[in-house]
Amino acid sequence: MTVDYKIDAMFELRKFLWQELKDSKIFKASDYYSEGSDSEIIPIIPVQQSPEMDQFLNGKKHIVYDKIGISYEDIWLICCEKILFTIYSSDITEIYEIRNLIIDLFRRMDDSAKDANRAKTTSKLIFHSINVVETSPIDPSMELQGYMSSDVILEVKYSRTTGPNGRFD
Amino acid sequence: MDSSVALLQTASGLERLMAGSRPGILRDSTVAQISAFLYYEAAVLSKLTKNSEFQNLFKTTIFNQIEKDFGSYVDSQARVKPRSLHHVYEWNKTGNPAARLFKLTKLDTDGISFKVNYDFKMSKSTVPSKNKKQKRRYVFANKAMVMETGMPVVIRPKSAERLVFELEGQTIFMPKGTSVYVKRPGGSQATNQFSLSYGRFFGGQLVNSSIKASGFQRIFTSKLAKSLEVPLNIKKVQYSFTAGKIRTQADSALSSSFGGSL
Repeated sequence: MTVDYKIDAMFELRKFLWQELKDSKIFKASDYYSEGSDSEIIPIIPVQQSPEMDQFLNGKKHIVYDKIGISYEDIWLICCEKILFTIYSSDITEIYEIRNLIIDLFRRMDDSAKDANRAKTTSKLIFHSINVVETSPIDPSMELQGYMSSDVILEVKYSRTTGPNGRFD
Repeated sequence: MDSSVALLQTASGLERLMAGSRPGILRDSTVAQISAFLYYEAAVLSKLTKNSEFQNLFKTTIFNQIEKDFGSYVDSQARVKPRSLHHVYEWNKTGNPAARLFKLTKLDTDGISFKVNYDFKMSKSTVPSKNKKQKRRYVFANKAMVMETGMPVVIRPKSAERLVFELEGQTIFMPKGTSVYVKRPGGSQATNQFSLSYGRFFGGQLVNSSIKASGFQRIFTSKLAKSLEVPLNIKKVQYSFTAGKIRTQADSALSSSFGGSL
């Protein structure tokens, strides 16, 4: 059986966060419909794709994410990742709204992990703990003119199911 | 009073009891042995914070993790905000760990504490130029420091008679011998931005998270437990113990526990 190495905790968290943002009516999926691809584009994008999405997201609130670090310690089954979300909007109240939702979702350690486990789309990943490590003040963005931005950093601990030899299954 | 000194002073009361009872018909080692046992444990604990191997392990373990995490944090911030942090990397390598122009430095202080500061490294790569005719390339060695502090620079022709450069697609020829004044090299967005990231890392929870992740607590617990293992000679039945010998044993137990590799 081949192992699916495309599975990634970040992708699962992104889907979970996007669902919550839609459910809480903070984002409207139809605002991000792309005629070119005939589908909605999730406005939570990796930093590497940020320049190519600039035009599409122009003026729209969105979130850029990046992995700060990923490490396995002596207990090599558990992975610890730090993820940076940078929220962009031209409206300060929208940033507060999004930031508050992220904090509300992810500050509760085991309970946040339970929620992520309920929402995940793969059984291969198990979230153990998620917490908010840092939030930054809302500043005018130096990168995108007309936008304001704020950072939220999460620490995520999770493991992936393994076979008898300890490798991903 | 330092708690380790207080512990040592209190334990010194045991020295009399360790010396053993006066010779008589019945000899009992219990009091001397228990006293020696307690004296040894007290000696290990009181010497712990003054032990150079322990101090070194403490500082190195925590600093290494902070250095790693801080580097990753700034790299990530630079990828998300390249205009703000491009200056602390070599040209066109923003966010690349191998191209960092900053490094953390550890300033040793007494005891089990240290201070952290940062330094900027000299840039070694040449300033990129769109002018293909340009033969001489310039290395802006102090790029990081100058752009971070927002220090204005004056560019003068060094070997050529005039400055020639590209600006918005046009080639500009400056009059002979004149210089160009750059008010904010690196852009105003870059000024003090590294210092801001540094402040956020060390002023918030990120540094605490880094200290936790260093695993020092786990290393400390296991190594201290090893040091506190009572030496064989104290476990054996003896009627008298020497305080000096026990103190030496405590010293060597700490050195062998904390002096080894991680």
